[in-house]
Amino acid sequence: MASKVKQITVWARGVVQDKEGRDIANGLANAAKKEGKFTQAFDNYVDLPDRVNVPLRKYARISDEEIEERYEYENEKPEVVIVADATLVKGINVLRGMEKGGVLVVNTDRKPEDILKFIPNRDLLKAIVCVDAKGICGEATVDFSGSEGGVDAVGLGAGMAAPILGALVRGTNLVKLENLAAVVKNKEALYKGHEQAVVKTL
Amino acid sequence: MAKEMVLSGCAASAQAAKMAKVEVICSYPIRPYTALMMELAKMVANGELDAEFIYGEGEHAQLSVVLGASAAGARVLTGSSGVGVTYAFETYSPIAGGRVPVQMMIADRALDPPGDFGSEHTDAMSCRDQGWLMGWAENPQEAFDNCLINYRVGEDHRVLLPQFVCQDGYFVSHIPGKVLLPDQSQVDEFLPPYTLPHPLDPKHPVSHGPQIRPDQGTIMDLQRAQAHLDAPAVIKEAIADFNRIFGRDYSPFVEEYMTDDAEMAFFIMGAHTMTARHAIKHLRSQGVKIGLVKLRFVRPWPTQEVAEALSKFKAVGVVETSTSYGGAMRGGNLLHEVRASLYDLPKRPLTTSFMAGLGGEMVPLKEFYYMADILSEMIKDGKAKKTVYWVGFEAEA
Amino acid sequence: MFIIPKEKEVPLGCITPAPVTEQTMMITGNWREYRPVIDQEKCNLCMNCIVYCPDACWQLNEAEDEVVWNAKYCKGCLICVNECTTEALSKAYELDFEDGVVRLEKPF
Repeated sequence: MASKVKQITVWARGVVQDKEGRDIANGLANAAKKEGKFTQAFDNYVDLPDRVNVPLRKYARISDEEIEERYEYENEKPEVVIVADATLVKGINVLRGMEKGGVLVVNTDRKPEDILKFIPNRDLLKAIVCVDAKGICGEATVDFSGSEGGVDAVGLGAGMAAPILGALVRGTNLVKLENLAAVVKNKEALYKGHEQAVVKTL
Repeated sequence: MAKEMVLSGCAASAQAAKMAKVEVICSYPIRPYTALMMELAKMVANGELDAEFIYGEGEHAQLSVVLGASAAGARVLTGSSGVGVTYAFETYSPIAGGRVPVQMMIADRALDPPGDFGSEHTDAMSCRDQGWLMGWAENPQEAFDNCLINYRVGEDHRVLLPQFVCQDGYFVSHIPGKVLLPDQSQVDEFLPPYTLPHPLDPKHPVSHGPQIRPDQGTIMDLQRAQAHLDAPAVIKEAIADFNRIFGRDYSPFVEEYMTDDAEMAFFIMGAHTMTARHAIKHLRSQGVKIGLVKLRFVRPWPTQEVAEALSKFKAVGVVETSTSYGGAMRGGNLLHEVRASLYDLPKRPLTTSFMAGLGGEMVPLKEFYYMADILSEMIKDGKAKKTVYWVGFEAEA
Repeated sequence: MFIIPKEKEVPLGCITPAPVTEQTMMITGNWREYRPVIDQEKCNLCMNCIVYCPDACWQLNEAEDEVVWNAKYCKGCLICVNECTTEALSKAYELDFEDGVVRLEKPF
């Protein structure tokens, strides 16, 4: 994949976070599109989305030029990884494929140090951002209409995706906060996530 | 000593299955294959055949039952016709992909609509690309022989593929013909007991048919493709042994009749080959230089043998008994493969196809004479006017 | 002839040795957010956890006379906590434990 394409991988849990994970990827791509970028956002089809709690991936890609890879359906080298449920760090090598200098965003009420102890390859990171998205807007929005390629009728960023996206802006310069605000439904949660995020530079 | 009997194709197939010592049979009735199961059921009831006889609740169940039984190490037989064949379609790919060598006897039948029960190759031909071995019998004797040959080839560990052993519904399945029943010792010499490399066995548990990832799918497709590349050598061995043990003179893939000095030929498979032979005999007496090439295996398709056999003619007429609506040749399935087989030859014969014997219609001598006229005209013109003739329905006689 | 790279090999017909004690091709411990924790003092060995666990993640250690939990495969469904007759089992957040790390390279 052309090196100019920025790859963002979201790790979420099957069914209970299926929509939230997808909203993070879609929100990011939609906001980047407002900034004139070429974007893609899609689910990993090989993961098992219809089993409760199974680890699964959603992807976003942002580029200044047209993205030629549409059907290479894995992000091999993510520079930003978002973990929508913190316990995933014990179950999966979430930084797989990341090159040195990446950013990790985690939805947790714990401190960055508490998460980093479960990341054996943390030297790849230049920063970690923690945000208590559940504390800001409660449980994930569980909605199945967007699964398996259906049309999502609930709207983007009504739940936990909003504060996570807000936190993302604190650790990266992928998109601007106002462009995220233009695409997510729960703007208050977006701003709260942005304010309350804890950033630790490494 | 071998004994001569007069049997229908269904009854001949049942006799072959009995002598192959089939262990699990699964039935569901549909014309015209039903008599196979009637015969086998009698044999089991009378204690002549020691086999489990299971009644499926449909063709999908039939194939699922024999898949399980074959995977557990039993030699199995099932069968069907027409819409029964297509109802079980889902099961064909996993059986071939799982490399479980079940045998299915198909007495072919036209597909609906509406409820035509006459012979047509379309039912089985629609299933030809799933990885099964496939071929047609011309008469009850071949129905008997093909059963044994297909068990031997399909169960060979270099192949391990299921087999569609086909015969024309009614024409072969119902009209009795002479069948030489061999001695059991001959069959035992030809056909070793069935073994599977990894059978279902509680002492050595294995998983059959697990979920796989997309990146494993290509490998499994490749395995099946390789099995079809390896099968021809095994077929040649099996036919050589068959000819030696049973005193026959089969060719493995294509058989020729009166082709030595022929300028034109019919390319044909199944029951109507017999009528075509008589037509050729009469045409020869009038000085028409015509012969025929009969196909014995549709899968694996004998590309090389077809090319070699047909390259010596000026014109070839493919007799189609199946449909491929909207296909490149606008007719049946065989001309596609015949033309593809000939493509790399420096000198190719002119080819066309004849839709004949569809829906169970007869193909009488006069239709073969009509086809021969078209082939003569092609040679005279130096070209084929079209790729398909619907025999009996063309505006230009 | 075809060349199949070592990492892509699939056994003939995808017929694989069946799992006898555990299915290493489908490790499910990373589905878990909360784990069951046992208080052996309260446990009366009713074995409800063993019976109800959908993934056989509770087993009886006959030598020690106690039930043992399998962290590698427990999905954290907490059915065992619900079915425990003596309140010996309770739910605890996974990040509070150093152990129970599975950390697979790919989810499936």
